[in-house]
Amino acid sequence: MRARDIDKENLVKQKAIEIIGKGGFESFSVNKLAKACGISVATIYIYYKDKHDLLSQLATEHGHLMGQSMLHNFDPETSFEVGLRQQWENRYRYMIDNPTISLFYEQLRTSPYQEQFLATFKADAYEPFTKFSENIVARGEIMAMPLEVYWSVAFAPLYALVKFNNEGESIGGKPFKMNDKMLWQAFDLVVKGLKK
Amino acid sequence: MENFDHILLFKTDIRSEEDKQVLQPVLDKNKNIEQWNVDLDDEDYVLRIISYKLRHEQVIELVQHQGYMCTELK
Repeated sequence: MRARDIDKENLVKQKAIEIIGKGGFESFSVNKLAKACGISVATIYIYYKDKHDLLSQLATEHGHLMGQSMLHNFDPETSFEVGLRQQWENRYRYMIDNPTISLFYEQLRTSPYQEQFLATFKADAYEPFTKFSENIVARGEIMAMPLEVYWSVAFAPLYALVKFNNEGESIGGKPFKMNDKMLWQAFDLVVKGLKK
Repeated sequence: MENFDHILLFKTDIRSEEDKQVLQPVLDKNKNIEQWNVDLDDEDYVLRIISYKLRHEQVIELVQHQGYMCTELK
């Protein structure tokens, strides 16, 4: 008799993220995944109907996880600086603690599963983040501007630093490791730039 | 403990939508099959059958009769 095994299921999910993060969706197969987990292909097909089912469950689960991690201790009613600081803190910790997940997200972005991932993420996080943006404009803390302009200034510096860090090198292949001091230095500049 | 003995898995050479359509009438009309699908996106072309009555050998015979390779996935 075959039985469900939560540890095995978690291993399958973890390995799937690693394989996709490294090689993308194109080269991903259930067979490869089973080998990486040291289990049989059949075991994976007990849990999942097919490869599409596996990948789409993975995308949905990670949409939720990302939403939850970004909302950790975040209060849309706080001031611009406090709220943005928490968002930086959350995103930074999440990406630094899970370097494999960042690579997986990058692959996800150009995959057919991105839409599903975002839909789940938005269902959790859209409301608080929208409320926050409305509040800070209504209170006159920042100017009204297109969301894309706001995002580029507010978050792109963070993602650039984390990317350098996770790749271990920065511009022109210079070895790089990020620290908290650099994080908050960049953050202060962002706040300075956005605050009215 | 949850039991999964009703999920029967096979490695096949059912590689395309056309191949799948060849098998569809046979599998659809079998009253002992609750659900079935073939993973056309993956390299083992796994046939997954939900059945509380059929044994692996019976499915293998059914599929091979239609001219396709079919072995139990262990």
